[in-house]
Amino acid sequence: MRVLAIQTFFQLAIDRRDLVTSALWEHLEMSLISLLISVFVAVPLGIILSHYRQAAEPIIGSTAVLQTIPSLALLGFLIPFLGIGTMPAIVALTVYALLPILRNTYTGIKGVDPALMEASRGMGMGTLQQLHRVQLPLAMPTIMAGIRTAMVLIVGTATLAALIGAGGLGDLIMLGIQRNNSYYILLGAIPAALLALFFDAVLRFVEKKSTGSSITPIATVVIVAVLLVATPTAMSAFNISGSDSQEEITIAGKIGTEPEIIINMYKHLIEQDTDYNIVLEPGIGATDFLFQAIEVGDIDGYLEFTGTAITTLLGEEPESYEEREAFEQAKEGMYSEYNLVFLEPMDYQNTYAIAVTEEIAAELNLEKISDLQEYEDELTAGFTFEFYDRPDGYPAIQEAYNLELNDVQTMEAALRSEALVSGDVQVIDAYSTDSYMIRYNLVALEDDEMVFPPFNGAPLFREDVLEEFPEIEGILNQLGGRISEEEMLEMNYQVDEEDADPALVAREYLEGEGLLD
Amino acid sequence: MIEFQGVSKVFADGTKAVSDLNFRIEKGELFVLIGPSGCGKTTTMKMINRLIDSSDGKIFIQDKNIRDMNMKRLRWNIGYVLQQIALFPHMTIKENISIVPELVKWPKEAISKRVDELLDMVGLDPSTYRDRMPDELSGGQQQRVGVVRALAGDPDIILMDEPFSALDPITREQLQKDILDLQKNIKKTIVFVTHDMDEALALGNRICILKEGSVVQVDTPEKLLQHPSDDFVEKFIGARQDPWGAPLSEMTLYRSRTQAPLKEEVNEFLLTSHSVRAAFEKLKDSEKDSLAVFNDEKEYTGDVSYKDIVLHLEKYHFKDRGGALS
Repeated sequence: MRVLAIQTFFQLAIDRRDLVTSALWEHLEMSLISLLISVFVAVPLGIILSHYRQAAEPIIGSTAVLQTIPSLALLGFLIPFLGIGTMPAIVALTVYALLPILRNTYTGIKGVDPALMEASRGMGMGTLQQLHRVQLPLAMPTIMAGIRTAMVLIVGTATLAALIGAGGLGDLIMLGIQRNNSYYILLGAIPAALLALFFDAVLRFVEKKSTGSSITPIATVVIVAVLLVATPTAMSAFNISGSDSQEEITIAGKIGTEPEIIINMYKHLIEQDTDYNIVLEPGIGATDFLFQAIEVGDIDGYLEFTGTAITTLLGEEPESYEEREAFEQAKEGMYSEYNLVFLEPMDYQNTYAIAVTEEIAAELNLEKISDLQEYEDELTAGFTFEFYDRPDGYPAIQEAYNLELNDVQTMEAALRSEALVSGDVQVIDAYSTDSYMIRYNLVALEDDEMVFPPFNGAPLFREDVLEEFPEIEGILNQLGGRISEEEMLEMNYQVDEEDADPALVAREYLEGEGLLD
Repeated sequence: MIEFQGVSKVFADGTKAVSDLNFRIEKGELFVLIGPSGCGKTTTMKMINRLIDSSDGKIFIQDKNIRDMNMKRLRWNIGYVLQQIALFPHMTIKENISIVPELVKWPKEAISKRVDELLDMVGLDPSTYRDRMPDELSGGQQQRVGVVRALAGDPDIILMDEPFSALDPITREQLQKDILDLQKNIKKTIVFVTHDMDEALALGNRICILKEGSVVQVDTPEKLLQHPSDDFVEKFIGARQDPWGAPLSEMTLYRSRTQAPLKEEVNEFLLTSHSVRAAFEKLKDSEKDSLAVFNDEKEYTGDVSYKDIVLHLEKYHFKDRGGALS
């Protein structure tokens, strides 16, 4: 069993080696650039502060405050200024790395024996000579320790940067979490750990090699890092320069398989009919990140759902549970409030659902949520804490269906379906198009009292983008009313469970529909 | 060589460190600054290489005001030995010694030659010690390197700030002897700060006694002992047991004559009640190498020579090390 698991892991690693290599490279590049910037900022700052000691504590204190901001919050906070992608990730990582380097530089320089400083002054060294020949060499072990701490911090935190579209090994980890696939998680986590160990070993080696010789260790690290980072960047800049006459449109999607498939369809369709170059940013960590990014124009459009637009983005109550009316409400609200345009919605809904296994459904003859009431004393539910807690979740169900389930357990999303299969729970909350519906033979019970607002997916674009590229509207509206819940489920299943390429799945669907040649 | 003219120092916090210092240090002289803690001796010394700037008055080196000189050049020409030794722990002995020669851009070969020569001078074998790190050396060896480092750039002046006070008594004595030898050979102008009167008397050509930031007396050791200018100086010297002031009865005397002379028959003699200092003075004036000593009963008890005085002083030093005043 264990041998099999290891085999499966290595098979996956071999199959996905291109993905792993590029993710590793992105990770390395992102980490190195951040580390370099923070070294360039924090080391000189630490040196300066050691001359102005009154200013030192307040400044170091404020970097400590920056450190306390949760990394995801910091990433989100930067989107209005820097958009999504590598740039805000590098800024956030740099901010995190400042404190350890700054504090260690300051402490290291301050810790140099005053007698040595007086001796060097008495021997007629200037400030820079003192720094170069006495202070830096003696503080170097402390400074390097700070840099190493910062490096580990950066490599670790950089995995979260995947959530704002910066790529890196976090992409693999997030993929694994979404799909409840630990091999993917390991495929991201193991190289990240190795990368941290590798960096640490390099830094330690350099430090040991150059004890007592001041700038040399830092200079070596800097030169190697600059070369490493600059080479591919320079090359890609060179490559891109040939093709930048093309118009570029950026379309993003939330984290998850389904948005990735759908935005791939957008790309196929637009690129078939126009010369525009579509850049996809799949896997963005939160609705809020995407919304901020589209507001500042960092992305041009993304896949949004009507229910989310109404309740989360507009903060309104759904006026109707009828799909079309809900869509009209969302469309009108988003346009008048934010100048964002909803194009035609697709057929399927990705809404909250109450799901049971096929066996239970057949045994108890369950089709609708209202059928549950009869068995409320016998059934145990496994809900995510969010569903259990939010007013439009379980509380709304309880009220609308007068349902009082005997036993409700809250658990991790990924554990729910397994608890259901093992028989520990019989009822779970689910997203209606998620692939585990197929994997575990689940049945979504019909929301006959229409408690959950409609969640139809539709492209949401900036108005100015649609004015500049008017063809897009017609092209994407071809998807309006298409893709049934079964079709979506099937596509999700192919990607999640059979590891198919989302772009390919999208293409096959469009070809099947006759939309793509 | 070095001249203080009305020099005062008031620190930023208002503390008066020294006021109205006026004295002149001659070329080739070992000049000791001494006094109780807080008397301003270290401040006085550090004003010479401008580690501390005077607030008032002028300091001249070779008739040039040090304020008008380039600070780095000034310091390159003044060796500096610290109480804390302060060898740079990340540099080898050679690198430590080479700092000033490198700063003044001597050629590499000249520096190497200089380092070896200096190590030899203080009895450290260059091939053994050149490439060692400071922490591989004993405290005494380290301070030898500290002294040598101050000499490296061939400065005219050397400042020594209680250089031996952190060392054990035997090492200290050895280093004091080394300094005296060195001084004979190299003839540098040395300004030496100490709080140890024995050290001051043993090393100083002249001694400057400071009290609460003012000079009380500047004199040779002999004159200081014979003619203390006031009670403070007398107490300051007297606070230690003065081997010079001990009566000859306390000295171990040897009879060098087979036949005891009669007091009436010798015209130059000493009494057991005479002090060592008196004996020394008398010997200086006499053409003889030794003088007979008689007790109160006019009995011959032995002879005193320079050698006897030296042995007495040496014995005394070992009996009563320290003699710290502060």
